[in-house]
Amino acid sequence: MSDGYHMHDEVQRRSFDTQSMRRLLQYVRPYRGWMISALFLLLGAAVLSNLNPTLIMWAIDTYIASPERTALEQAHGDPALLQAAIRENRHGLTMLTVILAGLLIGELLLRWGQLIIVSFVGQTTMLKMRMQLFAHLQEMPLRFLDRNPVGRLMTRVTNDVEKIQQTIVTGVVQAASDCMSLVVVLIFMLVIDWQLALIALAPVPLIATVTLLFRKYAHHSFLEIQRKIARVNAYLQENVSGMRLIQLFCREEPHFAEYRARNADHRDEWLRQVRNYALYFPAVEFLGTLSLSLIILFCGARILNANSAATAANMVTGHASYGTMFAFVFLADHFFGPIRSLADRYNLLLEAMASSERVFALLDTQPEIQDKPDAVPCERLNGSVEFDNVWFSYGDENAESIKPEDWILKGINLKIEPGERVAIVGHTGAGKSTIIGLLSRFYDVQRGAIRADGVDVRDYQQVALRRRIGVVLQDVFLFSGTIEDNIRLGDTTMTMERVRECAEYVNAGKFIDKTPGGYQYHVGERGNNLSTGERQLLAFARTLAHNPDILVLDEATSSVDTETEALIQDAIGKLMEGRTSIVIAHRLSTVQHADRIVVMHHGEIRETGTHQELLAKGGLYRTLYELQYKGQEIGGRS
Amino acid sequence: MKSASDTAHGLPDAGIDRHPLIFLLLFNRPYWRRYAVGALLAVFFAVVSLGTPFAFRQMVTDFDAGHMNAKRLAVYFLVFLSIASFSGVFRYFQRMLMIGTSRCFEYDLRNYYFQHILSLSRAFFHRCPTGDIMARATNDLNYVRDFVGPGIMGAVDMIQLPLTIGAMVHMSPRLTLLMAAPLPIVTLLVYFFVRFMHTQSRIVQELFAAVTEKAQENLAGARVVKAYGIADREQRVFLQVSKDYMRANLKLAVVTSMAWPMIGAFIGGVVLLAIWEGGRLVIAGKLDLANMTGFLLCLLMIVWPLAQFGWILTLYQRGAVSMERLKRVFQEKPDVFDGPDTDPEAKIEGGAVRFENVSFAYHSAPLSETKDAEKSPEPGRAALTAIDFEIPAGQTVAIVGPTGSGKSTLTALLAREYDPTEGRVLVDGRDIRQLPLRVLRGAIGCVPQDTFIFSETVFENAKLGRPDATDDEVRGVCAIAQLEEALGDMPDGMNTLLGERGINLSGGQKQRLALARALLCDPAILVLDDALSSVDTHTEERILEGLRAFMAGRTSLIIAHRISSIRHADSIVVLDGGRIVERGTHDELVALDGLYAGMYRRQLLETALEDGVPVEGGAS
Repeated sequence: MSDGYHMHDEVQRRSFDTQSMRRLLQYVRPYRGWMISALFLLLGAAVLSNLNPTLIMWAIDTYIASPERTALEQAHGDPALLQAAIRENRHGLTMLTVILAGLLIGELLLRWGQLIIVSFVGQTTMLKMRMQLFAHLQEMPLRFLDRNPVGRLMTRVTNDVEKIQQTIVTGVVQAASDCMSLVVVLIFMLVIDWQLALIALAPVPLIATVTLLFRKYAHHSFLEIQRKIARVNAYLQENVSGMRLIQLFCREEPHFAEYRARNADHRDEWLRQVRNYALYFPAVEFLGTLSLSLIILFCGARILNANSAATAANMVTGHASYGTMFAFVFLADHFFGPIRSLADRYNLLLEAMASSERVFALLDTQPEIQDKPDAVPCERLNGSVEFDNVWFSYGDENAESIKPEDWILKGINLKIEPGERVAIVGHTGAGKSTIIGLLSRFYDVQRGAIRADGVDVRDYQQVALRRRIGVVLQDVFLFSGTIEDNIRLGDTTMTMERVRECAEYVNAGKFIDKTPGGYQYHVGERGNNLSTGERQLLAFARTLAHNPDILVLDEATSSVDTETEALIQDAIGKLMEGRTSIVIAHRLSTVQHADRIVVMHHGEIRETGTHQELLAKGGLYRTLYELQYKGQEIGGRS
Repeated sequence: MKSASDTAHGLPDAGIDRHPLIFLLLFNRPYWRRYAVGALLAVFFAVVSLGTPFAFRQMVTDFDAGHMNAKRLAVYFLVFLSIASFSGVFRYFQRMLMIGTSRCFEYDLRNYYFQHILSLSRAFFHRCPTGDIMARATNDLNYVRDFVGPGIMGAVDMIQLPLTIGAMVHMSPRLTLLMAAPLPIVTLLVYFFVRFMHTQSRIVQELFAAVTEKAQENLAGARVVKAYGIADREQRVFLQVSKDYMRANLKLAVVTSMAWPMIGAFIGGVVLLAIWEGGRLVIAGKLDLANMTGFLLCLLMIVWPLAQFGWILTLYQRGAVSMERLKRVFQEKPDVFDGPDTDPEAKIEGGAVRFENVSFAYHSAPLSETKDAEKSPEPGRAALTAIDFEIPAGQTVAIVGPTGSGKSTLTALLAREYDPTEGRVLVDGRDIRQLPLRVLRGAIGCVPQDTFIFSETVFENAKLGRPDATDDEVRGVCAIAQLEEALGDMPDGMNTLLGERGINLSGGQKQRLALARALLCDPAILVLDDALSSVDTHTEERILEGLRAFMAGRTSLIIAHRISSIRHADSIVVLDGGRIVERGTHDELVALDGLYAGMYRRQLLETALEDGVPVEGGAS
C-alpha cells in the first residue's frame, strides 16, 4: 500500500502554505471582477462608517455647542440675534442628521452587497470544487475505494470543502476588510488631529499583545476541547454500541466512572477556556476605556490651555472641542474592532489550510486504471470471452510482491463462445465472484489477460466496455429514487414503454404494480422498503433494460419464498437467452440451464462439463451438488 | 470548580415530567448560590457602569461652568479608569461563576444522560438507533447548555436595563420618551433575524446531510456505478443536491449578510435620533450639553443588551425544544430491573438452569422512527413458544437450529436481557426475577454471537468482567482460548491497542478474545452463542479440547452451527421456528434422522469439500 493514497485526518498546520493558497485562489480567478468590486464596496463602507463620527463632530462643534450662540447666550446679547442663531443651528443640525441617515443607509447597502457577492463567489467556487472532487472519485478504481474508507472520502467532499468555503473564501475577504478598515480609520484620525490620534492609539500595542496572548491560549484550549469532546462522544458511542456486553458483564459502574473522568476532563478544559474569555473581554474593555480616558484627558487639557490663553468667547477652538472628543471616541473603537478579529482569522485560516491540503492530495491522486490513449470504443460485442492464464490478487498491483497465499485466481484459462451460457460453481472462497470484477475491469489482473471479442479489456474504453456488460451483483444496490429511476439509471433515451416491458418480462411488473406509486414508487435508502426477492427482480429489469451483450450474474444466496423463487429462476432463464452469460450459480435450475459448468476450487478451475457429465464423473461437482443443489429439487432449505 | 454530580447529594430525579424550564431549574438547584452571587455581581456591575455617564456629565458641567482645572481633570481620568477596572473585575467573576457553572451543569447533564442510558434495557436500544442517542447527547445537549450558560447570564444582565433607563429619565425624560418606540424594535429585529437563521440553518443542515448521503451512496454503490457506466448520471444527481444545498446557503447568506449591517445601522439610527433631538433641545436651551452627553452614553450602554435580549429569546426556544428531546430519553424506564420480589441476599450456587414453558415475543414501540426497529424480529411475532427444558447443574446442553429459530433469544432470556412473555426461567430452582440482576449476570459468562471489542488493549478487553484479575489468570484463560498464539503477529501482543470495534482483529481473533473474556469471569453458567463460528476447524478443536476441562462442574449452554463442536454435549435441543422439535444426545438424534441428522450430513460434506476431496458416492 506504499503507493496508495493515504489520508491523514489529523494534519494540523502551524505554518502558512502559499502553494495551497495560490491553488485555492485559482478557483476564485473567474470571479476576479466580482471580488474586486466587493473590495471596492468594502472600501466605500469603511469610508462611510468613519465619515459618520466626523460629521457628528461637526454637528456638535458647529450647531449643538456652537461657540457663537453660546457666546450670545452668555453675553445676554440681542434676543433677535440669538433667535436667528438658534434657528440657523437647528436647521443645520437637521440637514446634517438627514445626511448622516443617508450615510447609515449607504453603509448598510454597501456592506450587504459586499457580503452577498462574497457568499455568492464562495458558494459557487465550492460547488465547483465539490463537483470536481466527486467527478474525480468516479474515476478512481475500486482498488482505491477498497483501501480508503467511504467515511473518509466523504469527509473530503463534504466537510473539508465546507471548511475551505467558510474560512478561506469568506475569511480572506474579511481579513482584507479588516486591514482596509484599519488604514481608513488611521487616515481619518491623522487628518482630523494627528496628535490626538497618537494619544488615542497609545494602548494599541497593549491591546495587540493581550489579543495575541489570548488567541494563543484560547486556540490551544479550543483544540483541546475539540479533542476532549471527541473522546467523550467516542466513548459514549462505543458504549451505546456495546451496551449489551456492558450490561451482561455488569460493567455499568466502572464504565460510568471512565465516562465521568473523560467528561470531567472536557469540563475542566472548558473552565480554562471560560477563564481565558473572562480575562480577555474585561481586559480589552479596560484598554478601550484607557484609550477613551486618554482622549478625554488630552482634549480636556487643551480646552484648559485654550481657556487660560484666551477669553471665554473663543474658548473652544477647532482643535480642542467636544466634537473632536466625541469623534475620537468612535474612531478609536473602529480601530480596535479589526485588530481583535484579525488575530482570530489567522488561526482559522491555518485550520482551513489543512482541509485544502487534504482535498488537493485527493485531487492529485491519479486513478490507477485509466483508458489508454488509443483505447478502442466498444459499440457492440459478439460476446466471446477469454481468460488467458489469469492471475489475480486484491493486494498490490505488482505481481512480484504478492505472497503465494494471497493469490485469489491462479492461472485461470477459460474460453467462452458467443451466446454460450456458463455457470461457475464452487465452494465459498473459490474465487468465483472475483471473475466478475475482472471482466468489467473493476480491477486489472496482475498476470495474463482477459479478452472480449479477442481484444484485451485493458484496450477498451472503460465506460464503453462496461455498458456492453450487464452485471448483476449478489447484493443488489438500489439508489434512493423511484423504481423507474432505478431501472433507467439515468438513460433518458429509454422510453417508458421499454422500462415497463423489461420489468414485466423479468416478472418484476407484478410487484411494481402493487406498490403504492407503481413505477414512481420511491425506493428508500438502499432499497430498504423492498424485499430481497423484489430487489433481485428489479436488478434483472435494470440489466435487461440496458440490453448488454454479455451478462454476468452473481446469484443471490439468500433464500426467498417459493413463489418469488420461481419468478427469479424463470427471469434468470430469460435474461440468459441469446447472450453470452457467466453466472455464479447457487441454484440448481441455473446450473441445469447452463451449456457448460465450470467448477472452481481455491482459485483454480478443477472441472468443466455439463451437469450430467460432471455428476457422472463423481468429482468435486458431485459433492457440491449433494451439498448445495440437491435439496432444491424438493424445495428444502438452503 | 466542583460539579453537583460529584457530590454526595447527586442529582434530582424529580421534575422529569415537568416543563423544560422547571426541569432545568430543579437540575440547577445545587448551584443556586453561584447563580445568586452571579446575579449580585451583575447588579454591582450595572451600578458601577452607571458611574461613567454620570461622571462624564459632571465633567462637562465643570467645563461649562469654568470649574475645571488640571487636578480635577486628572481625577476624572482616574475615575473613568477605576470604573473600568471595577466593572472589569465584576465581569470576570460573574462570567467565571455563571458560564463556568453552565459547564458544570453540562457535565452533570452528560453524566445523568449516560447513567440513565446505562440503566435502560436492550429493548430500548432496538427502538432507538445509536445515531439518535448520539444526536441527543451532542446537538441537543449543547443547545440546552447554550441556554443555561449565555442565555441565563444574558437574562441576568438585563438588570442593567431598568437602572440605565432610570438614569436616562433622570437626565432627559423627553429624550427617553422618544427612545421608547425605536429601542424595543432592536430586540425584535434581532429576535426575528436569529430565529430565521436558526430555521434556515436547519434547512441548510438537512440539505448538507442530503449531499453527504448522496456522496455516501455513490461511494458505497461504486460497483454498480462503474458496471453501468453511469458516472454522468451520478454527477448530475450530485450536482442537483449540491445546488440545492448551495441555494439554501445563499438564502441564508443573503439574510445573514443583511442582519448585522442592518442591526448596526438601526442602532446607529437610534443614536442619531437622540443626537438630533438632543441637539435641538440643547440649541433651544431646554437641555444642557452635559445631560445630553450623559444621555448618549447611557443609550450606548443599553442598545447591545437590548439586542442581546432578542438573541436570548431564541436561545431559550431552541433550548426548550432540545430539552424536550432529552426528556423523551429520560422518561424511558428500564423493562428489566430488580423488583420488590428480588431477594438482595440471593446467591447462585450450582447453576442448574430450567426454562419452564417459556414463550417470548419481541415488542417494538419506536421512540422515534427508527431503522433498527425493522431489523429486530418482526414486532409482536413470537420468537419462542413453549420452550421447556433444563440443564442440570454441571451439565452441558447444546442448542442447534436454523437461523432465526430463536437460539440467541434463549440466551438473552437467561441473562434477563428481556423477561419472558409467558413462563419463567429458573436458576437453582429460583425464578431469575427474584435474583438481583448483578448476581444473575455475574454468574453467567456469556459470549454473544456478535462479538463486541472495545477500543482498549487486548489485555483490558479480556479483563472486562474482572479488572482485578491477575496476569496469570488472564494468561490461563487466553491459553484455553488459544488467544496468545492468535496474536502472534500483533506488534505488542496482549498490549496491542485495538481499534474501534476491534477492526485490527480478524473475526476469529475477536471471537477468541470474547471467549477469554467470558472464561475469566469464572462463571457458574457458561453461555456460548455461536462463539467459534469464525475460528477455523482445527483451532476450534483445540479450543474445545481445553474448554472441556474448564466446563467440568459448570453448567453450559452452547449454541453452535458446527455440529462437530457440540456432538459431545450431554443433551442437544433442536429448535425450529421458536419451538423445540427434537432433543436427545448426538447419537439419538442422528438415529432419529430428522432435522439434526440432515444438518449433520451436510456438514460432513462441507468439511470434505473444504479439503477439496470428493466424497465418493455422496452421503445420500
